[in-house]
Amino acid sequence: MTPTQRQRLLVVSVVFVGISIASGLTLLAFKENLLYFVTPTEIKTTELPKERLLRVGGLVVEGTVQRDGIQVQFDLTDTANAVTVVYSGILPDLFREGQGIIANGKLTDDGTFMASQVLAKHDENYMPPEVADALQQAKNLPEKFKEKYR
Amino acid sequence: MNFFHRFASPREFFRIAGYTVPWLGGATLILIVVGLYLGLFVAPADYQQGESYRIIFIHVPAAWMSLFVYMSMAGAAAVGLIWKIKLAHVIAMSSAPIGASFTLLALITGSLWGKPMWGTWWVWDARLTSELILLFLYLGIMALYAAFEERRSGQQAAGILAVVGVINIPIIHYSVQWWNTLHQGATVTKFSAPSIHLSMLIPLLIMAAAFMLFYAATVLARARWEVLDQERRSTWVNEYLEQL
Amino acid sequence: MENTESSVYSAFIAIFRRDLKLALRRRAELINPLAFFVIVVSLFPLGLSADPPTLLRIAPGVLWISALLATLLSLESIFRSDYEDGSLEQLALSHHPLPVIVMGKVAAHWCTTGLLLTLLSPALGVSLAMPMDKLGALVLTLIVGTPTLSLIGSIGVALTVGLRRGGILLALLILPLYIPILIFGASAVDMAIADLEVAGQLYLLTAMLVLSLTLAPFATAIALRVTLE
Repeated sequence: MTPTQRQRLLVVSVVFVGISIASGLTLLAFKENLLYFVTPTEIKTTELPKERLLRVGGLVVEGTVQRDGIQVQFDLTDTANAVTVVYSGILPDLFREGQGIIANGKLTDDGTFMASQVLAKHDENYMPPEVADALQQAKNLPEKFKEKYR
Repeated sequence: MNFFHRFASPREFFRIAGYTVPWLGGATLILIVVGLYLGLFVAPADYQQGESYRIIFIHVPAAWMSLFVYMSMAGAAAVGLIWKIKLAHVIAMSSAPIGASFTLLALITGSLWGKPMWGTWWVWDARLTSELILLFLYLGIMALYAAFEERRSGQQAAGILAVVGVINIPIIHYSVQWWNTLHQGATVTKFSAPSIHLSMLIPLLIMAAAFMLFYAATVLARARWEVLDQERRSTWVNEYLEQL
Repeated sequence: MENTESSVYSAFIAIFRRDLKLALRRRAELINPLAFFVIVVSLFPLGLSADPPTLLRIAPGVLWISALLATLLSLESIFRSDYEDGSLEQLALSHHPLPVIVMGKVAAHWCTTGLLLTLLSPALGVSLAMPMDKLGALVLTLIVGTPTLSLIGSIGVALTVGLRRGGILLALLILPLYIPILIFGASAVDMAIADLEVAGQLYLLTAMLVLSLTLAPFATAIALRVTLE
């Protein structure tokens, strides 16, 4: 091997080792929880810090939406557990029962979630209303939602 | 190979691109008219979002192109740096402002869409934030290129920056999955079960093709004048200018 | 060919020592980024509120942004003076590989900026109402994150050092590339304060450090060749 070839080999192997270590660490990182994104089940079952901003996602439980002036209260579920969310403000267009939403806010001492912001998470399906109706009748949608917001 | 060498000579490029640009421009126009007609008048309303989802026909192709143009720019810059091909540098630098415009368009239309759908103009969500970072990257590349007095050094320096910025592109693309935030997942790439109805998919793909052709037409047109300026001391440019 | 590796190593050490000695001789330049760090951090309690819960909430972001800006201000010193007196050109012409020389210079830069910022940060953390037992997390994120800032920054400096007014341009080029480090660094400290696990963020910060350690010296070397042409 000439010195130049030797040097090239060295460079390539250094870069290869570096990239492998970096990807290994990235894979390790994905096993950890990176966001303060919590599910209703985590709120029910684990001790989460109060008085700090959390982000909770789930489906609005049918029949639980109560409006009182500008204040709205509803239950949010991940199909296993539910948490009560209180919010005052204007809700987005896509807010409706059964819809997946994300609420930013804080947990209070009595276990309700005081939301400072409610955001509707629209899904990645685009279809005409008739198709959606047909799917709904075939009871495909709830299954899909369960899968998505598990 | 012979073709590439011929095409890479400034003079041949100027000539061939001169023929191609009007055709590409015309095709772009036709596709945009057809795509918008199908998207705005023929495609049905969405089952959840009603009429306002129609901005998808601008927003999604613009977002795709913001990434595609970046990759083409970085690819051209890498070719220019490795094989020292002048024309590749010209293509890379002509792509930057076009890519920046697509990124800006994606951000603006996304913001207009976000207000009625999510309830907010802007969230510091991973996907949106990385699109914004992409815009900053484009602006940095353009500013660096403009800062050099000598065109060649500017092309090389900005090209290096473009290649370095490529590390950000995967972060942009996978950020939805990584951070699990508000922006919905990618729709069309899930080939197994396309979750967009065919009547909406067709105009979307037509618009994407139109944007792609628009990029091809504008980048060639920009590169043409850049080549003319770069070669202004050569005889063929003088001959060309005398003919005008 | 045993002596190739040893000469590469000794080139690294020689450059590292030289730059360190030069930096220590210019005390004022050494102090400037640190003073900037302290002043920027102390602006926040004055401008926002001196109320401890508020301070604690903003502390991770404030400390990380200030450290990032202090590093940004100090970046030019990696190559500026060597470029101006022509020694950079001499170094590039030497038979030692340019990426190794770059590594030596960046290592010296980190020791005189990032490392010192990190050592200073616990005091500033306390001033922003951070509890004592969380200062370790702050130091840990900074010690893993700031070398990455120096490494990525060296690419930007190499690209702009030949320009007369490279300063603002450098910020425009480099800050977008710093954003992922800022996000993970600040959120790690934030989660540590909330008693949450920070291993994920630390893994990612380390991954970025390893990646920039392997790629940035090469990119910087290529950029220097363009600048020196």
